[in-house]
Amino acid sequence: MNILGIDTSTAVSAACVLRGDGQAFGVEPPPAALERGPAHSRELMPAVAHCLEEAGLDYRDLDVVAVGAGPGAFTGLRIGVATARALARAHDAELRAVSSLAALALYVEEPVVLPLIDARRGELFAALYEDGRRTMEPFAAAPEDVAARVAATARDPLAVGDGSVRFREVLERAGIRVAAPGSPTHVVRGLSVCRLGSTASPGHPDAALPDYLRLPDAKPLPR
Amino acid sequence: MILALETSCDDTCAGVVGTDGEVLSSRVASQGLLHARYGGVVPEVAARSHLEVVDAVVDDALELAGAALDDVRSVAVTHGPGLIGALLVGVSWAKALAAARGLPLTPVDHLHGHVVASTLRPEPIEAPYLCLVASGGHTFLARVDDPRSYTVLGQTLDDAAGEAFDKGGRLLGLGYPGGPEVDRLARDGDPEAFDFPRSAPGELDFSFSGLKTALLYKIRDLGDAEAELRKPDLAASYQSAITAALSARVARAVGRERLQRLAIGGGVAANSDLRARLTELCGALGVQLWAPPPSLCTDNAAMIGAAARFTEPIEYPHYLTLDAAARL
Ligand SMILES: [Zn+2]
Repeated sequence: MNILGIDTSTAVSAACVLRGDGQAFGVEPPPAALERGPAHSRELMPAVAHCLEEAGLDYRDLDVVAVGAGPGAFTGLRIGVATARALARAHDAELRAVSSLAALALYVEEPVVLPLIDARRGELFAALYEDGRRTMEPFAAAPEDVAARVAATARDPLAVGDGSVRFREVLERAGIRVAAPGSPTHVVRGLSVCRLGSTASPGHPDAALPDYLRLPDAKPLPR
Repeated sequence: MILALETSCDDTCAGVVGTDGEVLSSRVASQGLLHARYGGVVPEVAARSHLEVVDAVVDDALELAGAALDDVRSVAVTHGPGLIGALLVGVSWAKALAAARGLPLTPVDHLHGHVVASTLRPEPIEAPYLCLVASGGHTFLARVDDPRSYTVLGQTLDDAAGEAFDKGGRLLGLGYPGGPEVDRLARDGDPEAFDFPRSAPGELDFSFSGLKTALLYKIRDLGDAEAELRKPDLAASYQSAITAALSARVARAVGRERLQRLAIGGGVAANSDLRARLTELCGALGVQLWAPPPSLCTDNAAMIGAAARFTEPIEYPHYLTLDAAARL
């Protein structure tokens, strides 16, 4: 089974092809790329094409297209999901949406992991993974509130992700450990999306939508 | 055949156009109801909605055209101008589909689509012609000597004509979008009951921003009860000020450019008063008028397919870095 995994929940465009023989071919941007403005529309498809070429595969050889559905920046999520949908439909591959927070936590070698994605407006998207299991559903909150909620679990998590980089000071002041600056664990990896995608249940393609976690800002008119 | 996508504003559109300009299908999932709740287009709501329905609208367009993906020879997509988040849904989808199928991709300027909508069958217009595009987002006059491009002769300096309709509709307490509502109400009113300003800046430009202020003051002067009573007159007079300004500019451009053909496009081209005025004007001037059915005037994907026929396609993999742009 050949799997393509992509993620655009943060400023970086991650892509990886996990070939049927277990070999992975990824474009894994460095942590420094998290600090730039996002350019998914210009970067994602070239990354996908590059992975396929390295793997010696064609688009039609893909059996599964897995996409990090967020939470994360809305526009980036939509670019990722729209791309994944069309890639899957082009040759009837299975489309599987996975959690970007789960992907972020997957390769962190710690018993308790706190993946944090910048939610803008001074907030974080967060979830908690203990011994590989999700023990806190994804939510959006200010860094102080995230720290308070996590403190209640009485375990000592390691925070990773662009959100933890951005709010390192606040988090550390609140007693949360944050992975070292420049650590690759801050980047959502395409390979993690592939791995999660390999076991995720396929949904109806139309049902694959971003996990926004937030409503649009606009308020309906009073009736 | 060309598979075309258009997601620049609040309608999710897909269509299939033959290389000869035949419209095999043109489907639109309108988000009108969704945005009516907010009294206007909310970009984030529009972008979310595009992603929810894009696959279904494409399916529908292919099915209606009796086509399968195998029959598609190239993909066309609006890459601007428009709402960036909305555009990116269509551009991302189209790029990925074209890449995976090894097809060429044609990025289309949304306004080029409006300008060449009349080149579609069954009665394709031939260049040279004059084109009036008037919609909620744009209002301009263009000269088309070759359908591969167009020259803007004049444009609105502030509000678009459709925007003026929407704002007027709101002041009159009508629903969103205001254009069709004003049009309907105006049928029972007297277009000469009130005198609204018909600003004519420059030689071929438009200005509509003063109009809504004039309407606001008029409603205040009349008082709520009287304004409610005279709503059809207000709507008719307000509409007449917009359509008269548009047709006066068309008349001047036709004379100056010495063109024998006029095409109209954009949502305002569906307005019945404008159509009547331009029919009369063209009759008097001996100019042939192309007024496509309203479904090809408002945003649609067939016109994007039409423009793609006159635009150089980009071969794989050179379009992989293609981005959308709010302004082109
Ligand atoms: Zn338009």
